[in-house]
Formats: sequence, structure tokens, C-alpha cells
Amino acid sequence: MTQPDFFSQKWADSVRDALAAGPSEQARAGKLQEYWDFFEMIKGMYPASWALGCRDLPAQLGGGPAYLFLQWGGGTVTDSQIIAPGAPVKASYVLGMDYLDWKALHDGYDAQRTVMYRKMMLEDGNLLEFFKGIYFFVECLAVIGTVPASYPVLAAL
Amino acid sequence: MTERKSPTAVLREGPRALSDEQVREIEDSALAGVLGVDIDDVIEYVHKDLKSLPDFTTLYRRYLKQRWDVYDLDFSQDKIDWQEKMTEEERESFIAIASGFHHGERQVEIELPVFMIGPSEEEKLHIAAQIEDEARHTVFFDRFYREVVGLKGDDIMAILDASFPWVSETFVAPFGLLAYQADELRRSPYDERARVRYGTNYFLWIEGVLALSVMKVTLSYARWRGFLPAYYTGFTATCRDESRHVQGGMRYLQQAVRKDPTMINEIHDTLRTILSLSGVVSRRIYYEPLGWTEEEVRLLFFQQLRRKLNDVGIGLAPDLEDLLQRVQPVLAGG
Repeated sequence: MTQPDFFSQKWADSVRDALAAGPSEQARAGKLQEYWDFFEMIKGMYPASWALGCRDLPAQLGGGPAYLFLQWGGGTVTDSQIIAPGAPVKASYVLGMDYLDWKALHDGYDAQRTVMYRKMMLEDGNLLEFFKGIYFFVECLAVIGTVPASYPVLAAL
Repeated sequence: MTERKSPTAVLREGPRALSDEQVREIEDSALAGVLGVDIDDVIEYVHKDLKSLPDFTTLYRRYLKQRWDVYDLDFSQDKIDWQEKMTEEERESFIAIASGFHHGERQVEIELPVFMIGPSEEEKLHIAAQIEDEARHTVFFDRFYREVVGLKGDDIMAILDASFPWVSETFVAPFGLLAYQADELRRSPYDERARVRYGTNYFLWIEGVLALSVMKVTLSYARWRGFLPAYYTGFTATCRDESRHVQGGMRYLQQAVRKDPTMINEIHDTLRTILSLSGVVSRRIYYEPLGWTEEEVRLLFFQQLRRKLNDVGIGLAPDLEDLLQRVQPVLAGG
């Protein structure tokens, strides 16, 4: 089965389904139940939207910057779509990351370090409000990283 | 190290008075002499000057007197203690705590330079010294993990990678926030409100509360058991460095609020975010082999927070007071 292209609408649909399902049993097993209780509490009441950008989407995928828009409501993702380069970006929190760091996340790089090491940065939105949901965000970022996708290999510079 | 008190005795004793001789011992000890300094005295020393905060030039001059060479430490006895004297449970607990510092020191080193753009020239001297301190602390943990714990790696990042599995998922709350706050300052280095929010997280919460509390856990264990002399020496010297950082940071926050009383809202908003996350635990750290319980460690956090806020005259909004009451554990029998 061919995998959807990274930052295609098919991939965005898969991300929506993966986030609705939540972290895998394997991911849950390594952390305390009270941590997941907090995660579920935030997920159940999270009213915000994210625009997760790829600043330099390769030309084969349409060129960047492009954004994955995710709207949360009622404990699930109610809208998931790709915002094409040049289109207006409107979300509670707009974040951006380079293509190679997206690929690294997909290849298993830790989601917590993706935030801590400033690979993904907040470009717009209230920082202190965003961080009230940071455990939820990081776990969702880890889920997004696991969604199968085709990542073109960039030509060596 | 003549005194052998229970690691948690300070929780029940409350603030202690330091004699002039004890203050001189803390301030003037060369690195080798730091082994004889009681960590509880150093933590008390942090608070000594909080009510009449030293100016930044004084702090810079203290730095010049107190800086130490991380390569002067000899970890050979620590390696013997680690391998032959400490139990598996003690090692596991110790490393679960120390790994937070290993990564935390790196974070506070690399996120600080941007804060140096905005302040007075005198404060810039103090911050430049602090950046050098934090770099030295990063090397201290790199050496500890290589030479005592036995992690292998070609460079500093390889050792950080190797110790990362011990870092809790909740580490991202204060340190991820700091990274994002640093980026906010990178874009607007003279935004005084953003600087106060950054300073609240960095100087008050991370350095003044988290670091000083958790430092005490491993250091009081090492002192109590008479183990890990180079770790005790280097990390107690680190704590002495932190006293300058906390005093400088508290001076900055106090001045910011005196200049513009509405800045208190930035401090409160930052604490609202931090405290809303501080009660969440993702993995159990067993402090008991080191002489502590999780409740006692958290109580130490909140004692440290209240003392600093009181000493620099920063009150809490009623909703924050309620939040603090909800997340603050009660010390059984204390």
C-alpha cells in the first residue's frame, strides 16, 4: 500500500484519525495513569486550533511554507486540512518547523526534545496559554510523527 | 563533613541563622574546601541577601572570587562509591534526579544569552558570568556521567542523548517554556513584559525553586552517607553559583515590579501556567533510597517558592494562593 505524501490531504486525514485514537498502548504503558488522566482531561476540553507549519516543504510536495491545520473540540479533531503556501493562516497557535526536523520526528526523534530544542517554535499565539496544554501537545506531536507518510529525500547540497 | 543529619531535617527545622563565620566559609572557600561546607547552609545563604539584594557589580565581583575549575575535580573515589558502595536502588534514584540537572544545566546555559540584550551594562556583566557558570555546570555533569556513571559518547550531545531516557516527560513544562520564552525575547529583546515572564520562569521557578530543592536531595544524600566527594564538592560549588543567579534574578524581578507595579501580573500569569502543570507526574521517581519521599520533595518546592516571594515582597493573587494550596502537599507529622 502506498503511503500518502507528507503534507497531503490524505496525510492530514490520517493525522486526524490518529489523534482521535490517541497514543498507542505502547506509548501509554511507559507513563503513569495519572499523567494520562491529565492528558484526557485536557483533550476533552481543549477548544483551540493548531497550525503546524513546515517552513521549507520540498518542491515535490508543493513547496513551503505550508501548514497542517487542526481544530479541536469535544475531545476530538473536528477539522484537519492542509493550508497551502501563500494561503492565510489562522489558528489559536501557529507553530513552525523545518522539513528535516519533521522527517526526524517521523523517524523517531523525541517529541519533547523537538519542543525543548526549539526545532518546532511558536510563531503566533499566547505562549503561557499554549503551555497549559503542553503535555497534551507533545503527546499529540509524537502521535503525528508516527502517521505513515512518504517523505522525499532531499538532494545533497 | 563532620555533621550527619537526616537529609530531610531541614523541612522540620525551618530557616536557620548563619553565623558570620559560616557565611565567610561559604563565600571564601576554594574548591577543595567546599567539601566541608554543609549544603543546608549554602541553601540558607541563598536567602541571606534576598531582603537586601546585592547589586549586579557586587554579584559579578563575587563570581570572580568564587569561580572554580571543573577540571580540578577528581572523580576516582566517586566511581568506587558508585560501583561498589551504593545499592542498585540508590543508583537508580540518584540518576533519575541527576539527569534532570544534566539536561537542565544545558538548557539554562543556552537559553540565557538572549536575556543579556535588554538590561543595564552592570547586569550584562552578571549575566555573562552566569552563562559561563552554566556552561561549567554542564561540563560538570558531562564529566560525572562519563567518569562515574560510565556513559559513553564522543561529545557532550552524545552523553546528553544517553542520559535522556531518565528525563521525565514533565521536564518539558519549565524547560520547554523557557526555550519558547527565549525565542520570544529573540524576536523582541526589549519587551519588558516578556522579560519579566522569562525571569519568573528562569530565575524564580527553575533556579530558585526546582534547582535548589532537588539539588538538596542528592547533596544531602551524599553528605549523609559520606559518598561521592567530587560530586558533593562540585555540586555544592554549583549551588553557591546558583545563589548569585537567584539573587540577581530576584533583584531583576523586584526592580521590575517597583518600576511598574503592573508587572506583578506577568509574574502571576507565569506562575499560573507553571503551577497548573506542576502537580502532574508522568513517572514515579523513588526518592526513598536517598532518604526522601516524593511528598517531602514537593513540600520543599513550595517552601522555597513561598520564601522567595516573601523575601522579595511579591504577593500572590487569591486564585494563585488557592492553586498553591491545592497542589502543595502536607508534610505528615511536620
